[in-house]
Amino acid sequence: MSSSPDDTTPGIFRSEEVCLSQLFLQSEAAYTSVAELGELGLVQFRDLNPDTSSFQRKFVSEVRRCDEMERKLRFLEREIKKDQIPMLDTGENPDAPQPREMIDLEATFEKLENELREVNQNEETLKKNFSELTELKHILRKTQTFFEEIHRRDGPGSVRASASTSATDREPLIHVDDEAHAPGELFRQIFGYDRRTTNEHRQSGGGDSMQGGGGPDDVIVADPAAESETMELTGPAAGHGHAGMFANFGFVAGVIQRERIPAFERLLWRACRGNVFLRHSEIDDVLNDTATGEPINKSVFIIFFQGDQLKTKVKKICEGFRATLYPCPDTPSERREMSIGVMTRIEDLKTVLGQTQDHRHRVLVAAAKNVRMWLTKVRKIKSIYHTLNLFNIDVTQKCLIAECWCPVDALDRIRMALKRGTYNKLEEESGSTVPSILNRMDTTEAPPTYNKSNKYTVGFQNIVDAYGIATYREINPAIYTMISFPFLFAVMFGDMGHGTIMLLAALFLILREKQLEAARIRDEIFQMFFGGRYVIFLMGAFSIYTGFLYNDIFSKSLNIFGSAWANSLLPNETQPFFDKGLLEVPLMLVPEKAYVTSPYPIGVDPVWNLAEANKLSFLNSMKMKSSVILGIGQMTFGLILSYHNYKYFHSDLDVKFMFIPQMLFMACIFIYLCLQIIVKWLAYSATAGVVFGYEYPGSNCAPSLLIGLINMFMMKSRDAGFVGADGKVSWGCSNNLWYPGQSFFETVFVLIALACIPVMLFAKPYFMWKAEKERQAGNGHMQLGTAETVLVIVAVVQIPIMLFVKPFFVWRRDKAAAATRESVRADMNGGDSEAEVVHHEPKTNGGGGHGHGDGPLLKDGDGTEAKKLDMADVMVYQAIHTIEFALGCISHTASYLRLWALSLAHAQLSDVLWTMVFRAAFRSDGYIGAISTYLLFFAFFFLSVFILVLMEGLSAFLHALRLHWVEFQSKFYGGHGYVFAPFSFEKILEAEREAEEA
Amino acid sequence: MGEFFFNIDHGYLEALVRGFKGGILTQADYANLVQCETLEDLKLHIQSTDYGNFLANEPGAITVGVIDERLKEKLVTEFTHIRNNALEPLATFLDYITYSYMIDNIILLITGTLHQRPISELISKCHPLGSFEQMEAIHIASTPAELYNAVLVDTPLANYFVDCINEHDLDEMNVELIRNTLYKAYLEDFYGFCKNLGGTTAEVMCEILAFEADRRSIIITINSFDTELSKDDREKLYPRCGKLYPEGLAGLARADDYDQVKQVCEFYSDYKALFDGSGNAAGEKTLEDKTLTLKKVKLNVQAYLHQFHFGVFYAFIKLKEQEMRNIIWIAECISQRHRTKIDNYIPIL
Repeated sequence: MSSSPDDTTPGIFRSEEVCLSQLFLQSEAAYTSVAELGELGLVQFRDLNPDTSSFQRKFVSEVRRCDEMERKLRFLEREIKKDQIPMLDTGENPDAPQPREMIDLEATFEKLENELREVNQNEETLKKNFSELTELKHILRKTQTFFEEIHRRDGPGSVRASASTSATDREPLIHVDDEAHAPGELFRQIFGYDRRTTNEHRQSGGGDSMQGGGGPDDVIVADPAAESETMELTGPAAGHGHAGMFANFGFVAGVIQRERIPAFERLLWRACRGNVFLRHSEIDDVLNDTATGEPINKSVFIIFFQGDQLKTKVKKICEGFRATLYPCPDTPSERREMSIGVMTRIEDLKTVLGQTQDHRHRVLVAAAKNVRMWLTKVRKIKSIYHTLNLFNIDVTQKCLIAECWCPVDALDRIRMALKRGTYNKLEEESGSTVPSILNRMDTTEAPPTYNKSNKYTVGFQNIVDAYGIATYREINPAIYTMISFPFLFAVMFGDMGHGTIMLLAALFLILREKQLEAARIRDEIFQMFFGGRYVIFLMGAFSIYTGFLYNDIFSKSLNIFGSAWANSLLPNETQPFFDKGLLEVPLMLVPEKAYVTSPYPIGVDPVWNLAEANKLSFLNSMKMKSSVILGIGQMTFGLILSYHNYKYFHSDLDVKFMFIPQMLFMACIFIYLCLQIIVKWLAYSATAGVVFGYEYPGSNCAPSLLIGLINMFMMKSRDAGFVGADGKVSWGCSNNLWYPGQSFFETVFVLIALACIPVMLFAKPYFMWKAEKERQAGNGHMQLGTAETVLVIVAVVQIPIMLFVKPFFVWRRDKAAAATRESVRADMNGGDSEAEVVHHEPKTNGGGGHGHGDGPLLKDGDGTEAKKLDMADVMVYQAIHTIEFALGCISHTASYLRLWALSLAHAQLSDVLWTMVFRAAFRSDGYIGAISTYLLFFAFFFLSVFILVLMEGLSAFLHALRLHWVEFQSKFYGGHGYVFAPFSFEKILEAEREAEEA
Repeated sequence: MGEFFFNIDHGYLEALVRGFKGGILTQADYANLVQCETLEDLKLHIQSTDYGNFLANEPGAITVGVIDERLKEKLVTEFTHIRNNALEPLATFLDYITYSYMIDNIILLITGTLHQRPISELISKCHPLGSFEQMEAIHIASTPAELYNAVLVDTPLANYFVDCINEHDLDEMNVELIRNTLYKAYLEDFYGFCKNLGGTTAEVMCEILAFEADRRSIIITINSFDTELSKDDREKLYPRCGKLYPEGLAGLARADDYDQVKQVCEFYSDYKALFDGSGNAAGEKTLEDKTLTLKKVKLNVQAYLHQFHFGVFYAFIKLKEQEMRNIIWIAECISQRHRTKIDNYIPIL
């Protein structure tokens, strides 16, 4: 990296020039200055204390205070959301507050939080009281009905009947699962059990009470004997007053969560050996949990037992299951009284609760107006202190030293921002402070890559960056990608109809972009489409264009300019078919007769759409060839870009020994192939004639390029011209030489290409090694260096001479003696040149080995060890690069054939959709036809959009992506850079916001 | 064979748990943590690790208790997610992991009740992974039989408890016996379960559980010196699924002092090294406790070297547990200003 003025080329082609600067900030002004820089967002700070852990830095207490404020704000926000109060979010961007203001903010938040907590606490206690009272209310109500049932059991028959009906419409009682158990019987059972309990207690034996872990149903069924006993036992008891009877049995009543009931019941049964009686009934209202506010279902239960021991046990179990017990009076009148008291208290509580909630609401509404703005402010403060933590503190504590990367263009703006920061401070405190200083520094470190982008270019920049961030000041391919990407996509997606759909969709996103952005749709797929809306827009537009060239709209063609083909069949030729009653007969248009005028002005002639037999072979040939031309064009362009990169970085070595051999290699084989394609298109037609001095009998003799290319590498000798000496068209005439001197040129091209490989492989490492050696040896060995250069040049020149001269003379001699041409000789020729290649490889390798051999001799100088390692590195890298390039040229050219393949697939799929789906609708007439057209149109359109536009579009997109990343960028793109990440409030706030929404 | 289809049922969870494991604190994190001056520092640093903002919403000053609670909460959330998504037999396997916590909780509650502590206070100390419905009613029981009949019959621990029913009283000594008997039955059962699963799970888990069994045997032996526990009773507490079984356990049963334990272990190459570094006085048993824990951690980490088995889930919980202990240890040291011992955490490699 040098900072000479000629480096400032127009910024659009390369990343911005970025320099390392040192900032000296007065400690008083540091905060405001950083705040200004944050608003500006053009400075990337470097961490100057990487060894200090996060809690040992200078401003850690401020960061902590911000964390605390943020926590309070989050708490506020949660509360606001809980009450569903809309938060005012104007999206305004308040300036970062002064440090003094921070104290105010803290106080405000503190006050708000405390107030809210107090209100919440009050509310919670109130709610708790409320829910307790409600539960008590339910208990009184439920137990009342329960006790009433007992009364009815002793009442006259009529009452009993009504009781049984009431039992049926009430929820089923756990001990009375079926109708067979009337309430009266139930009562008997209860007391039967209780009586038995007392007996057992007296005996303190009673082993049979453990009924082997049975469920609640067993409670009744298990003891039929006891039941009969209880009948008589309870008989006289029934005559007594009920109040007296209850006195014998203690009971507790309470409320428990509904889902805990089964376990509760089971445990009660086991722990008390079946000596308690539990009844429960569900509370119909949904109660709210006092702490979380979530709805919970509860049940009222009542447990009867006898004796204090059981009472403590039961109470412990209740405690274990978090059941709340409530006092429940024994007599109905007391219960009624209590119930009335509870009701009035509930009413009172409701009013108080309402007032508390109103108060809370008021507090929250007031806070809701500001909470977003506060959050922004706090985040800004926090990010400023985080940044200040990266700075170095001067020994005198008077100033902070920061290092930052900043774009050279923006230096003035940064200085202005610093001035503003300091000036604000001065104005307020009028202390005698020194302005902040910005100092450019020299560094060997590679600066970050900063590519300016706008909403239009950002999509393409992302495509490039996804592969790797460009090396600093390297050519930024995003500019070229902007056109080449949509174009290559469109080559694979050429259809005017589908292109239009895509264009309209993108247009919708573009025209509505403000609203859509404001809507903040977080859906990932939508984000992807929205982010790439301009890419999609161009892809759509280009698809329309290529669709126009392919003359393809939903697999149909448009005949705009009038086809160049006309029906050449005379009526008497077609009449026999009509006579036979055949309506559809394949007929052939002979080009010599049917091709009437000049070619169709632009794109594919619509007549090909009707050619069922050879439409594909025509289109395939055309698309394949154009794919190859496009691909080689793009790769060559990539090579040219690599030249500009080398030139920009003043790397003569790379220009001479990388770019030139690569370009030669490319030109000799692939550009030559492209030229052949174009010439073949232009020169050869259906009609016979004389082309390039050879007589051309007709289209079956048009030169075959593929076989020609193979023969070129094989250096196979072939006849010149299409017609033999005897005037007959020679067999396999398409493989013959088709222009004068072809054999010579092709041999030369192949040899040049082969010669380029060793140059690419060895020249650069050698020169690097030599330069290194010279640096080490000092000036004394300059002479030796020059001598060596001469020797190397001679050697390098030798290589092509060795390669070309002999074959050339062989070829000359061959031609002179050419009375008969035997392929044996030619094969020997080929064999010779191959031997040459093999031969010179070890030789140059020896040169490399020589270099390595010298390594140890130099060991007395320091740092040779490192250099030696470096050399191996360079060599390996170079080898990989060369192999990649040489093989890559071939495989990449083949890879570009995907342009054709996908285009073919797309055209065929859309053809299938038309013929198989939509065309079926045209087979029928009348109403059925109308209806089927209506319905099938939807099927057709739906499939078109989802399969062809979306799926095929995605596939073509990915292929275009690959062609750019691999085939195009591998020719010049380094991608070793790292991205410029400036300190910017905008970005920080956006990131926080996204994290919040995620 | 199981490997072929492992990912169909358990691939997601294995990936998840391996991801969680990647978030376990590294040596560098610990190095930073021990430098902390206050709990606030600790919070700040821990925020930069995988724990993220788990302490961010705590009002007021942070205490060790709060950290502990949040750590547990995080672990439980992760475990519950895994458990909810698990299919058989992984689901049962995960349940087995919780049993050990259930045992701990039961013992904690019983001891607490013995000391007349209020149940609510005890409940908050229970490990949330081992909570079960009837847990809070444990204090009604006054004898093991009652405990079994009333509370534990319905829990999965019932089978393990059968051996303890004949203990008469719930006193301190018996509670310890119950704990170890339960653990023994649990380990043997778990061992058998893993063995039945077969494959890599058996390979990895049996190794870990065998070590756990032996570790318990050794520790029981060492702790039982100079107590009223008879040698016969002691022998009954040894889990019989380790590598020490049967000869080693018989040796341990006869052991009278620390040296004899050491002698027994020297016959086993796995355990010989553990005693090499430690002194021979019984007073230094904390040291050998540490080496045993280190070995345990190592075994758990090694579980991640295999694929397609359930051991990773067990290892994750155990490693996380160890990490939580480390964090709490460091936090305690910081809050009590007792920095000399702050380095005594067990690093997870």
